Amino acid sequence: MACWYKNNNGGIVISARIRLARNLSDMPFPRRMTPQMFIDLKERVSNAIKALPSDLALKFIEMNNVPETEINAMVERHVISPDFAKNYKDRAIALSADESVSIMIGEEDHIRIQVISEGASLDEAYDIANSIDTALNESLHFAFDDRLGYLTECPTNIGTGLRASLMLHLPVCESRGEINMVADAAGKIGLTVRGMYGEGSKSSASLYQISNQITLGISEKNAIENLKIIASQIEEREKQCRNTIEKINIEDTVFRSLGILKYARLLSTDEFMKHISMIKLGIDEGIIEGRNINPVELLISAQPYMLMKNCVAQTPGERDEARAKMIRELL
Amino acid sequence: MLCQVCGKNNATTHIKTVINGKVTEQNLCGYCAAKKGYSSFSGSSISGLLSSMLGNTVKTDASLYEKHCQNCGTSFANIAETGKVGCAECYKVFEDELYVYLKRIHGSVKHTGKTPGRKELVVAKTTDRISELKIKLTNLVAEEKYEEAAVVRDQIKKLEEEK
Ligand SMILES: [Zn+2]
Ligand SMILES: [Zn+2]
Repeated sequence: MACWYKNNNGGIVISARIRLARNLSDMPFPRRMTPQMFIDLKERVSNAIKALPSDLALKFIEMNNVPETEINAMVERHVISPDFAKNYKDRAIALSADESVSIMIGEEDHIRIQVISEGASLDEAYDIANSIDTALNESLHFAFDDRLGYLTECPTNIGTGLRASLMLHLPVCESRGEINMVADAAGKIGLTVRGMYGEGSKSSASLYQISNQITLGISEKNAIENLKIIASQIEEREKQCRNTIEKINIEDTVFRSLGILKYARLLSTDEFMKHISMIKLGIDEGIIEGRNINPVELLISAQPYMLMKNCVAQTPGERDEARAKMIRELL
Repeated sequence: MLCQVCGKNNATTHIKTVINGKVTEQNLCGYCAAKKGYSSFSGSSISGLLSSMLGNTVKTDASLYEKHCQNCGTSFANIAETGKVGCAECYKVFEDELYVYLKRIHGSVKHTGKTPGRKELVVAKTTDRISELKIKLTNLVAEEKYEEAAVVRDQIKKLEEEK
């Protein structure tokens, strides 16, 4: 598997993510854990990870040793959750070199296995997460009940502990005010639609995450199947909407955004996201040539903490300048 | 029992509302319940929904404050307040209290997914049929055919009870 944003192949479906929530049966859930228990937990999980197949090559990282800028940049790259970044003290993660596999230790549950892949490959991501889960269970013995399935701190995750998500780029549905309709339809069958950075986040660059909500009484396979069906219907809707717009109107919007990104000297995150979304639309619709531009990678690299990490830009003003410079040099 | 609103579908949702200390109870079908905003799949913040549902129960039943999990010390009042469970053992201790909420959140209280330590999933025949119907339900809802969806939903419910 490769990095979901660096190797993005374009299209409406940007990335697929699988998350499995697991807990050890002989330890209370994180909310009830003492600092000593976190130390024990990390040691046991780190030993179990060492026994995983070597091709995964997960690196064990103590979060106390990671600078805050990098912690926030990890959230921007979807390596860790915003909640984990808020409570990172004494926590740890295990991370693959391409960052497609991450295991958060001590998030809301003892273990959160996450696999992200480019495009719509939910099955492939699930297979990897599933095999990691099976291997870890050999020594960790996860809390499981025949009737209730895997036990989790929040009853909303009980059962499979699975959250499967697809991230979709829906600029035209969004501009037509159809997102609420999409969210309502998804909600009726136990799926949710959220912004790019999860619960409570607003969408930027017209990116939406569609995930399953129901984890008890539905198998992993069926939850993933349902999500795929709905996502493909939403994708179809976005395509239909795109087809009804006069070509000249799409072209005008796309080229205006291209103009701004080519010549602007200061770009805030919001403004950048709005225009890079149009560049992505332009490339996907064959309006502009995307030879050496990967809008998804740019969108991640232009996030505030990613810029702070990779450029010397520290203040918001410096970041706006660095962001404009980065994109200008590419275009 | 038939739905008290439409009188056509089977009532699958029991709704208890407390207004100024007066308890009103209603039995509705999934379709009418969803129309009134009592969707078990209310998307945006299920954990918020959970703690508000649990919170209401605790307020009406003071004895629940006294029940604690021996393993981690969590009381049901704690769970109601936070929407979070203290440890794996809590699910046994508060089995009855949590049952109705799990049912409301997930629409089912029977795990049908992966079982640790088993290479292949053993899936009973009824489960296959239920899964099939659930996909059918998904499609019907997506097509906004709510009446037909309600029928399929009731079929699922029936099969789940027979299990
Ligand atoms: Zn009814
Ligand atoms: Zn407990």
